[in-house]
Amino acid sequence: MAYLKELLASRELLANLTMREVSGKYRRTVLGQLWSLINPIVLMLVYTVVFSFIFRARPAEGDPSGLNLYPLWLMCGLLPWLYFTRVVNGGLTSIVSNANLIKKVYFPRMHLPLSVALSTGVTWAMELGVLALALTIFGGMPLPFLPLLILWMVLLALFASGLAMMLAILNVHFRDTQHFVALILQMWMYLTPIIYPISLVREGAEQYGMWIIDVYRLNPMERFVEVFRNILYDNRLPAWDDALWCVGWAGVIFGLGYMIFQRNEKRLAELL
Amino acid sequence: MSDSAVIVDRVSKKFRMYKERNQSLKAAIMRGKKSIAEDFWAVQDVSFEVPRGATFGLIGRNGSGKSTLLKCLARILHPDRGSITMNGKAASLLEVGSGFHPELSGRENVFLNGSILGLSKKEVASRFDEIVEFSGVGKFIDQPVKNYSSGMYVRLGFSVAIHVQPDILVVDEVLAVGDGAFKKKSQNKFVEFTKSGRTVILVTHSLAQVREMCNQVAWLDQGRLAAVGDADEVTQKYQAHLDAAGS
Ligand SMILES: Nc1ncnc2c1ncn2[C@@H]1O[C@H](COP(=O)(O)OP(=O)(O)OP(=O)(O)O)[C@@H](O)[C@H]1O
Ligand SMILES: [Mg+2]
Repeated sequence: MAYLKELLASRELLANLTMREVSGKYRRTVLGQLWSLINPIVLMLVYTVVFSFIFRARPAEGDPSGLNLYPLWLMCGLLPWLYFTRVVNGGLTSIVSNANLIKKVYFPRMHLPLSVALSTGVTWAMELGVLALALTIFGGMPLPFLPLLILWMVLLALFASGLAMMLAILNVHFRDTQHFVALILQMWMYLTPIIYPISLVREGAEQYGMWIIDVYRLNPMERFVEVFRNILYDNRLPAWDDALWCVGWAGVIFGLGYMIFQRNEKRLAELL
Repeated sequence: MSDSAVIVDRVSKKFRMYKERNQSLKAAIMRGKKSIAEDFWAVQDVSFEVPRGATFGLIGRNGSGKSTLLKCLARILHPDRGSITMNGKAASLLEVGSGFHPELSGRENVFLNGSILGLSKKEVASRFDEIVEFSGVGKFIDQPVKNYSSGMYVRLGFSVAIHVQPDILVVDEVLAVGDGAFKKKSQNKFVEFTKSGRTVILVTHSLAQVREMCNQVAWLDQGRLAAVGDADEVTQKYQAHLDAAGS
């Protein structure tokens, strides 16, 4: 409780650290903030060519939006995923890469992973803004769902930063963590229906046993991607069970991450 | 309410000394469950009180635990035993370049550092000119601090820390890097600072400076408190110890 108070009292520092991340990232680059849009667009082109033209992945038409465009469908799932991986990767190294700060001054260390989640959130919001514009141009109606979208962005931010906080502590003890996690995240992406529709997994499960789909859906990111697609691509409310799973995952993982981080933060300076 | 700004009560701090410090999973598994580590007590059972408005010096040989104790005071490290009570807001300036980000400009660092030390943006802005003026970095304020000389680095860091107007200021050997003019300037600032009822705790190897500035001194020897009290008395004892050790 005392720790929470301290965090709130120093929120100005959090804002400052976030600004440092946002403005420091593209310092001395010619294209500046545009870089944050170029990366997802290039990914979109590559995945569209490979998975839509070559492998012929055919996601279902947006219901009720009526959208039927693979690149847009892809981005509705890819952008949340990219946010997730950036926060996990960035947050997990935030302690080690700010070692000089931690060893020289006291401040609640949790601001470091949290500022990664916030500053990445700024980039993400811009990306989603561009995507929402494109969706509207092609006939979707994402705008009325804005409050729900923001709520889900917050939930995903909690989930991602909770995981990042746990891993940040682990990374201080074992520097292998960051390389290991980068590898896991790559595999995790292919285990989540981002570039292919979940209907492909269902077909497989019908053939080999329905337990496959049950296990597959234990993946928290599957639920998040599903809800983001419901909101952005289909323009409808998410299913109850998906919504509850997301809330549960976000609450449990953030709570755990918060507790683990807070318990260990006192000894960070001497471990670095 | 006591008149002490800081109460250090039987504080001990240990570090784990690893035979081979290899922070990889493989090494951890190879070592097995028990890692090869020895405890090393850098600070042992140290107690003293610092009165409000005092300038308190901390002296001792290299490796005697001064910086470690100061880091405990600054809340960067946590004592394994004992407790530290700080009556008031504390700011610390530990060694060179306290928490500056090398890529950011001096200006951005002042704001970042100010907010780390607990100032709002407005408060920093209102003191900004004073901070730059005192630090004497002048037109370099908009340059990245990685291009600063070590003296400029310290001067800016010191200037921010002192203009935060903490109740307790904790300083580690930073004055050693500044030139004579800056030393004079900061000594005056310290006097002004303590006159307004604020407290300074500083580590230095210059005994002349200690005699000139400090009311009270603690002498640490291999992590233990060797003596504490009046500045002249303790520095004399310490000097005698140094003479004996050096010959
Ligand atoms: N993070 C750490 N891990 C292990 N040992 C440490 C750590 N920090 C300090 N020590 C040890 O603690 C002892 C005290 O160090 P400290 O920096 O406090 O000395 P000091 O009195 O400030 O010396 P100096 O006058 O040289 O600045 C030293 O033996 C040092 O090796
Ligand atoms: Mg030292």
